[in-house]
Amino acid sequence: MESIGLAEQLAAAERGAAAPYVDYPPTPWWYAPSVGVWAAAMIGTFTWWRENAGLFVASLAALIAVEILFVVWMRRRHGALPMPGRGTPPVEIARMWRGYVAALPVVALIVGLVWWLVGVPAAAGTAFVLVTAGLAFYERRYAVAAAATRARLR
Amino acid sequence: MIDGLDPIIHVPKRLAAMAVLANAPSVSFRFLKDHLQISESDLSKQMSALEAVGYVSSTKVGRGRGGSTTYRMTQAGQKAYEQHCSALLALIRGA
Repeated sequence: MESIGLAEQLAAAERGAAAPYVDYPPTPWWYAPSVGVWAAAMIGTFTWWRENAGLFVASLAALIAVEILFVVWMRRRHGALPMPGRGTPPVEIARMWRGYVAALPVVALIVGLVWWLVGVPAAAGTAFVLVTAGLAFYERRYAVAAAATRARLR
Repeated sequence: MIDGLDPIIHVPKRLAAMAVLANAPSVSFRFLKDHLQISESDLSKQMSALEAVGYVSSTKVGRGRGGSTTYRMTQAGQKAYEQHCSALLALIRGA
C-alpha cells in the first residue's frame, strides 16, 4: 500500500468524523427563544415548590418530557446528532463546546443570585434572557467554527 | 489483516461510514448517503458488510417511502475502528 492512498484514507476518516458536527440543517429561528422559554419555565415551576407539591412535580415532569421529545426530534432532523462523550469533535468545535460548558455555571450563578435577591419570577425572566441571548450567540459562533472546519478538511 | 489494517473497514466508503458512526450515537441512512455521496443500493451493500461482521447494528422504523433506517456502531465496531485508525496513523508516520 502506498503512503498517498493511506493519507487519503485518513483524510476521508477525518471528514467522516467531523461530519456529524459540521453537516447539519439550518437552526430554526425559534430555537434559542424556545430553549429560553423552557429554561424560564423550569425556574418558574419552583413557584409551586412549597405551595403545591403535585403541581410542582407534574410541571417538572412535563418539561422534562418536552425536552426528551425535542431531543428526539432534533436527532431525527439532523440524522447524526453528536452528543458529548461520544467520539472526538474537531478542534474548532471542541473549543466551542468548552466555551458552552464554561458558560453554564456562570448563567446558573447569575440566575441563582437573582433568585436569592429578588425571587423566582425575576430569576425565570433572567434565565429567559440569558439563555436566549447566549444560545443565539453560541449558534452564530458555532456556524463560523463549522465553516472553518469544513474549509480545513476540504 | 494487512499491517494491522482491518480489511472490512479499509474499504474507503466503509471507513468514512465508520468515522461518522463513531461520532454520533445513531446515524440515519439519509445522512450517510448524503455524506458518502453514493447510491442507496451501494450504501445498503456497504452497511450490510459492516453489519455482517458485527461492527454495526441497524434499526428500521416503518416501511416504504415513509420508513427510515438508523445505524449504531457496536462495541466491537468501536474497537475495530480505533485499531484500524491507529494502524493507519502508524503506517503513515512510518512511511
